[in-house]
Amino acid sequence: MAFINYSSREIQLKIVYYGAALCGKTTNLVTLHKQITHAQKGELVSLATDADRTLFFDFLSLNTKTLPGFTTRFQLYTVPGQAIYNTTRQLVLKGVDGIVFCVDSHWDKMADNVESFANLQENLIENHLSLVQIPYVLQYNKRDIPNAAPINYLEFTFNNRANRALAFESIASTGSGVLETLNAAARLLLAKYSKTPNANVTGMTQPNLSVAVPAAVENPQVSAGNAAA
Amino acid sequence: MLTAEDQTAIEQRLTDFLSKCEAQWSALVDKGGNLFAQAGDTGNLDLSILSALAAGSFAATHELAKRLGESEFSALYHEGLGQHILMSALHHECLLVTIFGERTNIGLVRFYAQQVTPPLNELLQGAREKEAASAPLQLEGNFLDDRAAIS
Repeated sequence: MAFINYSSREIQLKIVYYGAALCGKTTNLVTLHKQITHAQKGELVSLATDADRTLFFDFLSLNTKTLPGFTTRFQLYTVPGQAIYNTTRQLVLKGVDGIVFCVDSHWDKMADNVESFANLQENLIENHLSLVQIPYVLQYNKRDIPNAAPINYLEFTFNNRANRALAFESIASTGSGVLETLNAAARLLLAKYSKTPNANVTGMTQPNLSVAVPAAVENPQVSAGNAAA
Repeated sequence: MLTAEDQTAIEQRLTDFLSKCEAQWSALVDKGGNLFAQAGDTGNLDLSILSALAAGSFAATHELAKRLGESEFSALYHEGLGQHILMSALHHECLLVTIFGERTNIGLVRFYAQQVTPPLNELLQGAREKEAASAPLQLEGNFLDDRAAIS
């Protein structure tokens, strides 16, 4: 839950990058740490194993002056993607304000992605939360791989709810789409504090989707099911 | 939500606690990793990182306690060569994090941490009640225009 300090005029917001193992969550934070120049940024902290797999979380803090009269501190966390670290993922979700769900575009990873999306919803319930309450954006990562699943399939699988989420294509390793994803998540969170939120930039209307959203199409190549149903 | 009066009151308690136990720095951190009041000096340490790690560490310990059938480990102590950290659970999902060095010892810090816990819990309870009774923060201005929120 956002923490507002009227004394220091500071709002602290926690954004968690969630997704299957090796989908690019840590790469998002590493790239953001390199790309962001204007916002006052902290050190990137990674609690990782010797093999560079996230063990607990990665953490990056960004200070911005977006809100009038307040400093906004975005605290970015990743979760460990591997199945055995589910308890850790639940812990990292404590106090979450917004989520970036990172999808690995590789066909072979679809079942993992779907499982991770279901796991996110289960772990939110463990924290007495749900995707209805917590703003989230989708990031379709690794769009540069040769056998990437088509966007319409990903949209059908992960973004087929009554209220569709903002979705972004990205190549986290090169930085493409990374800042756009974070900015969308940040705006969704900040909209809560605006007396006159502009629907075009807060994702409250559908036409703002950054990727083409075709009619829902079922693709017989993958039997992962519809995670967003 | 923390008002200026709440913060001053909490920081006065923390300052008093530090002077009694001769610790170096003390802070209130919530279990989401947000730092909301502090007293003392940590030099150039990045306090956001410190808070995030402290909250993570305590959350992991809490989970261990649950697995052992304990409702909670109420305190967690990390001993270093020259600097040590004591984390104590407060109400409302908050932690009291204290860093101390060779000028004092764990017994003294733990004793005074236990002493300061009830008044801090009271202040947190008051802040929580005020938050529940107050209107949500709503700001004027076109801050959600086409500019990037983060750049």
